[in-house]
Amino acid sequence: MDSDDSVTDPNPHHPDPSLDAEPATVEQMGSLTLGEAGDAAGAERPVGNGFLPADFYAAAGEIEVVEEGSPVSGDLAGPSSLGGPGACRERSGRGDALPSPSSSGYAGERGSSGGSSEIEEADDRETMLDDWSRGKRHPDEDDGSVSWRKRKKHFFILSNSGKPIYSRYGDEHKLAGFSATLQAIISFVENSGDRLKFIRAGKHQVVFLVKVPIYLVCISCTEEPYEALKRQLELIYGQMLLILTKSVNRCFEKNPKYDMTPLLRGTDAVFSSLIHAFSWFVFSNPKPKALVIWNPATFLNAYTCLPLSYSTRQAASAILQDVADSGVLFALLMCKNKVVSLVGTQKASLHPDDMLLLSNFIMSSESFRTSESFSPICLPRYNPMVFLYAYVHFLDVDTYLTLLTTSSDSFYHLKDCRIRIETVLVKSNVLSEVQRSMLDGGLRVEDLPLESSLRSRSLTTPELSSSQSGIGGPSGLWHFMYRSIYLDQYVSSEFSSPISSSSQQKRLFRAYQRLYASMHDNGTGPHKTQFRRDEDFVLLCWITQDFELYAAFDPLSDKALAIKTCNRVCQWVRDLENEIFLFGASPFSW
Amino acid sequence: MATTGNSSINAKLVLLGDMGAGKSSLVLRFVKGQFLEFQESTIGAAFFSQTLAVGDATVKFEIWDTAGQERYHSLAPMYYRGAAAAIIVYDISSSVGGTPLPCLHVPDA
Ligand SMILES: Nc1nc2c(ncn2[C@@H]2O[C@H](COP(=O)(O)OP(=O)(O)OP(=O)(O)O)[C@@H](O)[C@H]2O)c(=O)[nH]1
Ligand SMILES: [Mg+2]
Repeated sequence: MDSDDSVTDPNPHHPDPSLDAEPATVEQMGSLTLGEAGDAAGAERPVGNGFLPADFYAAAGEIEVVEEGSPVSGDLAGPSSLGGPGACRERSGRGDALPSPSSSGYAGERGSSGGSSEIEEADDRETMLDDWSRGKRHPDEDDGSVSWRKRKKHFFILSNSGKPIYSRYGDEHKLAGFSATLQAIISFVENSGDRLKFIRAGKHQVVFLVKVPIYLVCISCTEEPYEALKRQLELIYGQMLLILTKSVNRCFEKNPKYDMTPLLRGTDAVFSSLIHAFSWFVFSNPKPKALVIWNPATFLNAYTCLPLSYSTRQAASAILQDVADSGVLFALLMCKNKVVSLVGTQKASLHPDDMLLLSNFIMSSESFRTSESFSPICLPRYNPMVFLYAYVHFLDVDTYLTLLTTSSDSFYHLKDCRIRIETVLVKSNVLSEVQRSMLDGGLRVEDLPLESSLRSRSLTTPELSSSQSGIGGPSGLWHFMYRSIYLDQYVSSEFSSPISSSSQQKRLFRAYQRLYASMHDNGTGPHKTQFRRDEDFVLLCWITQDFELYAAFDPLSDKALAIKTCNRVCQWVRDLENEIFLFGASPFSW
Repeated sequence: MATTGNSSINAKLVLLGDMGAGKSSLVLRFVKGQFLEFQESTIGAAFFSQTLAVGDATVKFEIWDTAGQERYHSLAPMYYRGAAAAIIVYDISSSVGGTPLPCLHVPDA
């Protein structure tokens, strides 16, 4: 690799992440808060309270250790370069500092949304299985059906006059009365000059997102944090804009009672696949392979790349760049939900959310696989008002090329571009490398180098390949996600054997979600770490200006070792950055 | 695609009609000889080509299979512009409306 290529080291201010247990460095930490939870069942653990920013964890800008049992001192040190004035504050017994869960009982304060409190939990797995394939399941259900009420997670889109637009379950038109109720609740609050964020009703949360003239509502008993559910509503709204643009709003200006459902006809598969990506697994289209893949992009605000050797990705980028120079706005080569390469003209950059929504749209629509196609598509983060035109072509079952342009008559040009691109990709073996990488999978915690001094391991050398034992990585490391803030990209490890069961993966996903929400609450400081232990995992999160690291360990892991291991993970990721990240696609690197 | 005869004709063909009418099924049968019982609804428009020998000449069809979904109606002109022929498809088993072309506005061809 090119050492004098400045983009290959995007983090000149990388703190030296030496979180070694040296008492001397303690002084340099921002601050350290120690909280000790008494019991593992965690009456004080904020499960399900994530929507209350203040009561989740302590204030921002602190290093917080939440661990049962042993009081900890001095063995968690912040990156020294980020040290600042601060105190080492100790707090024992969190009862006084953190509100008890009962304070979140919003139901009593604000009332519940009618029947929602009667919804019982149902096993979502069966739902997801038959939810798959073509579009909407259970169109025969409505709010009177017991089965409908038992669904764990509902999503609704409605207009501000109460007309149903989309419902995850059940026929929209049969839900007219229910929609009108939701609308009444929202406008009742709006009329008093307020804004309704959520309602808590027993186990259920009702989360609202107002995008006049569109309302979005989620009713969920999944105990996900409010912020996570709100983000999911934002993504659903974005998916709708991708299909229709914001100019649908004009239909409501002319006729407030406008029925929008015909405009979304045939898109149920798009929404249900997006909703699956929020949860802990996505099926891969087109066949209902029971393949468990979650999509952390739905809450990390970042995209991920398919691991490839630097030269392979360069070859792909070079030909895409060539095409982009000929008047293509964005050229995007992806394999499932992973980016092979991405190139944009001029300063245009593609937002990770737009990539998520675009790839979800393409992968969930069978139509794109039949032949090459040319369709209007809106990128809501790029410009929610206008349609771009997307030329989409699948090069193999999982790999597809998307060329985006502003001009509606450039199909033949884009078709020529695709032929050129495809020829180059085949000749330079990019496509076969892509397939190989898909088979090989991503980073494995078992391969984490033992010494951080063992630099520049290439992940394409099979010498390290995986895991004799069934115990995960060193020091009980089970999984990690690393997000480069600078690049808008993340990399997450494969699931190691201790979390090979889907129920473990679901728990991990939820734990990360809560961790993410707590770390990103009100005014995140530039550097924060959090260490927590519960019966399932030891979780460690470390956020600096440059990256965010989320790591899950064996619940019995030693804390000092876990911290050390996190440093090694960061070093490892940096050593491999040319293979796991795409450089040059971020606006800051132009 | 190379043409062997001395005359070869390129012909742009567009399929129009309501969703679910059977446009994609017709094209897939013509181009690939396939029929799928569960044909997914088309998005935007799908492009196919098929070459036919007609006497001495070869005709290369460039086929635009458009989407019948309502949200794509306004885009029809973009696809039928310059077409040599249009096939308007409707579902004979559907009794909705008296006309097979409820919402097709073809200005100048
Ligand atoms: N019985 C029968 N079914 C057909 C026929 N042609 C199409 N179908 C079925 O009708 C459904 C819709 O057909 P498509 O070809 O997708 O219709 P389309 O006009 O392309 O629809 P859009 O792409 O949404 O505009 C599919 O499930 C087909 O299997 C036919 O001649 N007979
Ligand atoms: Mg079709």
